[in-house]
Amino acid sequence: MNTDRRRTNAPSAGTAALVFARTVKEPGYLQSLRPSRTREPDELRRIFLQTNLIPSATGSAYYEIPLPRSPTTSTLIPSTSTLKILASVQGPKPLPRSAPFSPTLLLTTTVKFAPFATRHRRGYIRDSVERDLGVHVESALRGVIIGERWPKSGVDVVLTILEADEDGWWGDGNAGKGDGSGWGLLNVLAGCITVASAAIADAGIDCVDLVAGGVAAMVKKGEGKEGEVVKVLDPSPTDHKDIVAACAVGYLAGRDEITEMWMKGNVGAASDELVEGAIYASLGNLGVMKEVLLETLKSKIRAAGQEDVDQTKGSPPGDVEMTG
Amino acid sequence: MSLPSIALPGQLLGPTTNFLPGPGTHIHDSQVYASVAGTVVSKPTPNAKSPPLLCISRQPRASSPGILGPSSGSGSSILPEVSSTVLARVTRLGPRFASLEILVVDDNVCNHSFPAQIRREDIRATEKDKVKVEECFRIGDVVRAEVISLGDQSNYYLSTAKNELGVVLAWGEEGRLLQLISWKEVRDPVTGRKETRKVAKPFT
Repeated sequence: MNTDRRRTNAPSAGTAALVFARTVKEPGYLQSLRPSRTREPDELRRIFLQTNLIPSATGSAYYEIPLPRSPTTSTLIPSTSTLKILASVQGPKPLPRSAPFSPTLLLTTTVKFAPFATRHRRGYIRDSVERDLGVHVESALRGVIIGERWPKSGVDVVLTILEADEDGWWGDGNAGKGDGSGWGLLNVLAGCITVASAAIADAGIDCVDLVAGGVAAMVKKGEGKEGEVVKVLDPSPTDHKDIVAACAVGYLAGRDEITEMWMKGNVGAASDELVEGAIYASLGNLGVMKEVLLETLKSKIRAAGQEDVDQTKGSPPGDVEMTG
Repeated sequence: MSLPSIALPGQLLGPTTNFLPGPGTHIHDSQVYASVAGTVVSKPTPNAKSPPLLCISRQPRASSPGILGPSSGSGSSILPEVSSTVLARVTRLGPRFASLEILVVDDNVCNHSFPAQIRREDIRATEKDKVKVEECFRIGDVVRAEVISLGDQSNYYLSTAKNELGVVLAWGEEGRLLQLISWKEVRDPVTGRKETRKVAKPFT
């Protein structure tokens, strides 16, 4: 592992979560804290999305799956995980001097986990998981952008994951290694696709459609080997003890096309069903994204109309309200 | 089918038999779709037989400068295109060309400057072979020019071979703004010393 010598780094092994005496003394207590899915199998988690929040970027968006409203407060450690992603779009801007001529838009996607995004602390330098995720998001976006409209220019999509979905419940122990390369990664990918698409639409870069991410999973219900396997949409990995397979897609609803798909685990014969479930999940995210983009657009148009009124009144330019 | 007032990327606007695709739209399966988010504008075409042109104007950018200077704040970005008029600052002079950086495209201030070049034969419309680059531009001058080509990997190619194109702002050796006095001369307002430039004809 390449270490970063320029900064004061946190302990490489991470810090241990608090362990309360009660969890050690009473064997059943820890299991009683285990979260379980309270949603219907086809019910998605609520998401929060906002565009146009970074003034210096051409386009930007913030995506969050907040904590459920009523967490059980018997322990300090939140039992479910949340997802917080910030996307910013820089450009289209001229290519660097060394780059060769390109008749189309050059897309660069950078995905970075914040050092505090996962239970296991991350480095400042991008690791292989982050680079891999960047390639997946880039391929999802490449399919929607009309690059020929922007010759000789490049656009940077920078995604910062402030908090990542966990790979499992912390009490299971295996989540201790939670380096963000397990089941939670699919949720992160779907969130990245959705938020990047919203940021690109906010930047006004030509796209054939809005791409939205969605996740579905096959989970084992009940105990033992012969547990029934059911399909759930938008799985929260902390809620399920046994995830058999999961799939994330980037889906274009208007054209019924998939630009990106990542499947994990042993699906068996039900792969089509899983992809279909992920598409349904992406449609839910798309609905939110459309509402948010329309809202931003309307407020911008309203602000522009306000400015026109101000100018016709002849108000001094010093009174113009700062926006953005 | 009535047109929506605002559209999002991927929104169906109508068949190509009823509309012509303009900026901000694209065609898929002989239907016109929106490709950016913005207000839908239907412009009638001069030819009465052809259907109206559909354009999507991008989200209006806040006209007040943001805290990070002009043209900060999100909104559409703009690229120089062939035949767009630009304002550029001269950065380097060579025997065969002048290097510039494009600062303004049409009426939009760019977020980033674009590297550009004016070749010696594109400076003037007449007597092209007698042009000397250093008699037409100086480093720091602001030039109004027209984009004639997207150029090679780094530079856009500009031309000032029109009366209304050329130097619009020039500074003398003492740092004073020079007065434009004729199509090929500028004058220092204090010392009265004259310098040569390819001066743009002012708008009347």
